[in-house]
Amino acid sequence: MASRRERRFWWASLASLPVLLAANYAIDAWRNAEDYVGRNELRVSGSVDGQTYAKASWTLNQARLIGDGRDGKITFPGQMRLVVVRLAAKAEDDVGQSWTQCSLTLTDPKGRRWQPLNFILSNDLSRDLDPKATPIDGCDAISRQPPAKGASTIMEEKFVVPADAVPSLSAQLSFASTRPDAISFPLRLN
Amino acid sequence: MIRLLLSLLFGGVTALLLAFLQSTTPSYAILSRTFSVKVAKVLRTKTIAFAPYGKSIERQTEGVWLIVSVELQSNYDTMTIQAAAIEGASGRLYRQSHRADGAPRLMPSKDLQPGLPTTGIFIFELPEGETSDMTLVLSRQPSPQLDSEIRVKLDGASVETRDRVEIGANGV
Repeated sequence: MASRRERRFWWASLASLPVLLAANYAIDAWRNAEDYVGRNELRVSGSVDGQTYAKASWTLNQARLIGDGRDGKITFPGQMRLVVVRLAAKAEDDVGQSWTQCSLTLTDPKGRRWQPLNFILSNDLSRDLDPKATPIDGCDAISRQPPAKGASTIMEEKFVVPADAVPSLSAQLSFASTRPDAISFPLRLN
Repeated sequence: MIRLLLSLLFGGVTALLLAFLQSTTPSYAILSRTFSVKVAKVLRTKTIAFAPYGKSIERQTEGVWLIVSVELQSNYDTMTIQAAAIEGASGRLYRQSHRADGAPRLMPSKDLQPGLPTTGIFIFELPEGETSDMTLVLSRQPSPQLDSEIRVKLDGASVETRDRVEIGANGV
């Protein structure tokens, strides 16, 4: 037969079970919410000249539309178009790890999002477009070797998009250190 | 009493209408929240041939090869199809065959870009008895999950049987 002390512990354990389950649920929910916020760009603001974002100032250096025959006289079948986006950044402070998990994507007002081509395909296309030029690194490669304070750098990504989305595209930039905040650059391609 | 009869009549008519809509929904164009699929062609064969690096490869089977030609489209994000399987007549799931790795136009190696329909093929190897009733199961996740999964019933009458199928750069 259980002693009085054991019975008291048993009842205390039973009584604490709902509290512990609720606490576990709350901690998991909190972690999931943090994870969600860290992965998603929930607050997007337009880029303003001189504004510092992730310890650097950013400008849209170039946006090219390829595939409709106007740039490079290259035409792609059907609706397929290639968009090349180049961003310039000037480090206003010591960047350190601020650019890790860099994300540069294209979005349109319908909520569609295009990821960049992988770096092998991107470099192959760079060589096809200009055999003499050295391919420019993408967001991920640059984030591993960010410029020193006061120095500048350029990153380039390529995207395959449908022709109907081209006029309304924006480039959206974010990092693990800045999400859920992201900055956006309207491309104004016509 | 009249109100009860009217309610029953209304319920019956609604059920009939829904049954009619369900029966007339085409099986070849299915939508999910994340992507859509249209089955263009289904081929059944004993031998497939392809040339991954210029050297011709021929693969035979004691069951059957099933080649499903599809058109896929992503609705919102750039994505890939992480899992594809055929649910056979017994209910077993047959994932894509690795014996056909390197065949041109295989769908899993392609990125789906929103707004741009992409065509390609899935290749399965399964026992002949399973082909009497087949469902194509596609998923954005490695394991099919809820809204990222699409199931397409493959109409047996539209399955074309060939002795040998050559998979070229333009598919089948």
